[in-house]
Amino acid sequence: MAFLEIDGLRKRFGQVEILKGINLELEKGGFLVLVGPSGCGKSTLLNTIAGLETITSGEIRIDGRAVNDLHPSKRDIAMVFQSYALYPNMTVAGNISFGMEMRGVPADERQKAIDKVAKVLQIGHLLNRKPSQLSGGQRQRVAMGRALVRDPKLFLFDEPLSNLDAKLRVDMRIEIKRLHATTGTTIVYVTHDQIEAMTLATKIAVMRDGEVQQFGTPAEIYNNPANVFVADFMGSPAMNLIPATIGGNGGDLAVVLDREARQPISLPMANAPAGLSAFKGKPVIFGVRPEALTDPEGAERNASHIATADCHIEVVEPAGSDTFAVTNLGGKGVVARLRADANIQPGTNTPLAFNLTKAVFFDPATENRIL
Amino acid sequence: MSAVTTPAHPAPSRDSGGINVKLVNRIVIYGLLALFALFYLMPLFVMLVTSFKTMDEIQNGNMLSLPKAPTFEPWLKAWGQTCVGLTCAGIKGYFWNSIKMVVPAVIISTLLGALNGYVLTKWRFRGHTLVFGLMLFACFIPFQSVLLPMATILGSLGRFGVTLQNSVGTSFGLGNPTVNLVFVHVVYGIGFTTLFFRNYYEAFPTELVKAAQVDGASFFQIFRRIMLPNSMPIFVVTVIYQFTNIWNDFLFASAYAGTGDAMPMTVALNNVVNTSTGVVEYNVNMAAAMIAALPTLLVYVLAGRYFVRGLMAGAVKG
Repeated sequence: MAFLEIDGLRKRFGQVEILKGINLELEKGGFLVLVGPSGCGKSTLLNTIAGLETITSGEIRIDGRAVNDLHPSKRDIAMVFQSYALYPNMTVAGNISFGMEMRGVPADERQKAIDKVAKVLQIGHLLNRKPSQLSGGQRQRVAMGRALVRDPKLFLFDEPLSNLDAKLRVDMRIEIKRLHATTGTTIVYVTHDQIEAMTLATKIAVMRDGEVQQFGTPAEIYNNPANVFVADFMGSPAMNLIPATIGGNGGDLAVVLDREARQPISLPMANAPAGLSAFKGKPVIFGVRPEALTDPEGAERNASHIATADCHIEVVEPAGSDTFAVTNLGGKGVVARLRADANIQPGTNTPLAFNLTKAVFFDPATENRIL
Repeated sequence: MSAVTTPAHPAPSRDSGGINVKLVNRIVIYGLLALFALFYLMPLFVMLVTSFKTMDEIQNGNMLSLPKAPTFEPWLKAWGQTCVGLTCAGIKGYFWNSIKMVVPAVIISTLLGALNGYVLTKWRFRGHTLVFGLMLFACFIPFQSVLLPMATILGSLGRFGVTLQNSVGTSFGLGNPTVNLVFVHVVYGIGFTTLFFRNYYEAFPTELVKAAQVDGASFFQIFRRIMLPNSMPIFVVTVIYQFTNIWNDFLFASAYAGTGDAMPMTVALNNVVNTSTGVVEYNVNMAAAMIAALPTLLVYVLAGRYFVRGLMAGAVKG
């Protein structure tokens, strides 16, 4: 039995259904990230776990105990809010100990707990300051301290890094990951940033319009996206989703990609997914991540199946660590990720290697994965 | 190069023309301001100088001239000896009457307004906009229209007070004119105080309330520990507004406590000025009026700088 279980969770505001039957589970010590675009219901889902929103139907269990009707303070959870929600009238120490004070913990015990958390988060020198006297990163730390001091069964993070600048965000991300590793807490984390999701999670739930599109480990989500939405949402630069047709002779299948004013490219497929033969002669969406489309020298050596084709390079973007090249296939701009020192010029034709072991196919009608 | 320097050194004729227009604008603006300041300060000035003059000087001298031999006599007389109706013990008793009425009325109406604002923004229930709309409506009800119904209600409360007095031994203040006035002002003030606090709390971050809920704070603990300590600006605005209105109220005061010992300051002042016996003592009247106006002035001086800040905080913060 999992530590956090969500069964058939539905949430309705009047006629509008915000959450349409969510099923998730998370093992003890796991790190579940709910990711999706704005308005997908991820924050609402987190609020229902916290008990700040009621649910219409379904069940939420924490450590085997149904918490549907429990007040937030009785669920043994702690929450870090997007705006940090530090009480402006209290000092840092007051903020951290407010929850304990409300629970009637004696003053000397509270002081001990504050000191312990301050040590972990290195905020000892800030304890007597007011939140208005803190920087963004310090506020973030205090907000985490307020959650940590409770030693709850479940931590809830609601887009905690979205108010920080880019560099601080990376630092805090690492810190959260370290905190998770050292304390072994169970965390549910909401973000719209797919990089945060990939780097932090042990499990990711990609959400759209109140439904879980795919639930799995970061590697599963990244390498085996269940549909076009997940493939497009996760990864930066996004996966190339190229309109293509399936061709080939007899039992051998090939992916045929249109090119502007030139012969279509035909990439022969070995080990094609079983469902693909049904699409022979029909359109599909051919998905290939930028790193699986590269210069032949930079191609992954142990990939079993690589096809090379000449492509017309339209734009070259040197990004420092990599060089991105944009070509046009199937009427869409397609991004290839090359080594930083790849010798490539815009306006020329260059052979690019397609790592077809990493390629995925989607049905254009349903947008679901062809297995 | 010349193209760059030309805008930095415009033609002298245009420059002086600009200065002239500016100067005229300044003169007009400050002239108008001075005129209106004079307009508003003149009565205060006349009151102040008159209150320090002797009756002889008032009758023979210029109204605007400064007192030749300033005397505190009128102030002392107004405070301790002047006649209000038939009793000649000064206005001091009525001053305390007003304080006894205003302080509880302001505190109760402000706290109730804060509580209403808190519920209407952070604990929303079905129909909360309707309730708020009705509360707003209370701000637009004319004083006069509630006079008679309120008198009926106060009469019933008074009779209930007598019943309690006879059966339990205490009326719990029911029927007492001061308590009646506090009740009237609280009821009438709730509309305004609710409006102030609702608008302030509308912009108050709801995440703080959620965080406090997760922390295990109850409805009133959140109100007392989170909402109230962060409401200073709107508190000041509401207190100033309520204090000024209730202190200066004459209609309710004269209708429900127009006679007898519980008479508030405003009614007493009216009785001092409208006395029909003997010479009209302008200096004493002016001193009494100044004393009547002092508490509101004091409140403005002490809390005024928060007033603008409070209004701005509610308006600008998103």
